Amino acid sequence: MSGASCDIRKVVTVVDEVLLELGRPVATPVRRVAVAAVIRNPWAGRGFVADLQPEVESVAPELAQILTGRLIETLGGVDRIEAFGKAAVVGLDGEIEHGGALIHTPFFGNVLRELTEGTSIIVFSDDRLPAGEPLTVPLWHKTAAATRSHYQTVQIRIPDAPRHDELVVVAAAASGPRPNARIGDRRTDPAVRLADLEKLESAR
Amino acid sequence: MNVRKIITFTEDIHTEGGRPVDPPARTAVVLAVIENPWAGQDFVADLLPGIDEVAPKLGELLAPRVVEALGAPVEAYGKAAIVGLDGEIEHGSALIHTLKFGDHFRRAAEATTLLPAVEKRAAAGTVFDIPLKHITDATVRSHHQTIEARVPDGPRADEIVIGLAAAAQGRPQARLAPLSTER
Repeated sequence: MSGASCDIRKVVTVVDEVLLELGRPVATPVRRVAVAAVIRNPWAGRGFVADLQPEVESVAPELAQILTGRLIETLGGVDRIEAFGKAAVVGLDGEIEHGGALIHTPFFGNVLRELTEGTSIIVFSDDRLPAGEPLTVPLWHKTAAATRSHYQTVQIRIPDAPRHDELVVVAAAASGPRPNARIGDRRTDPAVRLADLEKLESAR
Repeated sequence: MNVRKIITFTEDIHTEGGRPVDPPARTAVVLAVIENPWAGQDFVADLLPGIDEVAPKLGELLAPRVVEALGAPVEAYGKAAIVGLDGEIEHGSALIHTLKFGDHFRRAAEATTLLPAVEKRAAAGTVFDIPLKHITDATVRSHHQTIEARVPDGPRADEIVIGLAAAAQGRPQARLAPLSTER
């Protein structure tokens, strides 16, 4: 009963490009992309499955390759990817653990990382939802996760997925930082401890 | 014309009704969120100057993008105008119900028929369905279909979302008798 490979019903891509903020051209026009595959939950209808590993090994790498290939194609090359993220939406009859199984192991993450030439841990979101609910997918820098300018999100929503026995698996990327990033970084931050905040408060 | 953002969706359906769809059925939508050209002007009797200024630019922007996003010859198409809460539906209709807009898509798709449309006024994040029909014969029943779309943060009250939708084929498992068989 273990899936021979991933059983894809549909693949959806969303590209979000912001050109103006508050009426002004943005400093860095950025393309944010999410690619989602709707697959049958490989553990659907089997009750509690203790060992998820066989399906992780057979399904996750192929999914990662398909999704990452689409990401790279949509953004126009690996060098256009600066930030990445991933997500899973489990249909109502599944376990969140099923989504985690497909995105949180090296069989998915390492493939996504290697194909995008990244080194960072990959930030994620997951949820169990009815079809048509949006999910916000976080992104951060592919080689320097703490790069604050690259903290951003992209939203994905598929009107008719996931069905109760399906999973939506997402890979996401951005071509640059937030369009008007201007909140500093770790290198420029002042020290902020509770005592520093009290000093600021009393100086006001 | 002030374009705040552009969103592109594509979908490839690999199975429908539990059966494979080969090649996968592909659809695409491109949406531009623009400032309502008549925002803050009360009732504008003559919309033509705004139409002349904005509609051709919108057509030029969106038509090549949706054809490129589809990546295949267009067989069915449609359009959309979603007006933010402070505007008139007439503002959205003004921008899409003109040859100055639609002919860009018609030429890019080598199409001849009227573009089916959805127009409504709604809050940001509204879900809307774009109707599609065959590009040269609107009676071809296999190509009647809709694509659902949504912009999470648009249209704002003073904005309009303008969209074009395209399909590379009819419905994935179309099997209805043609219209001619019922006449």
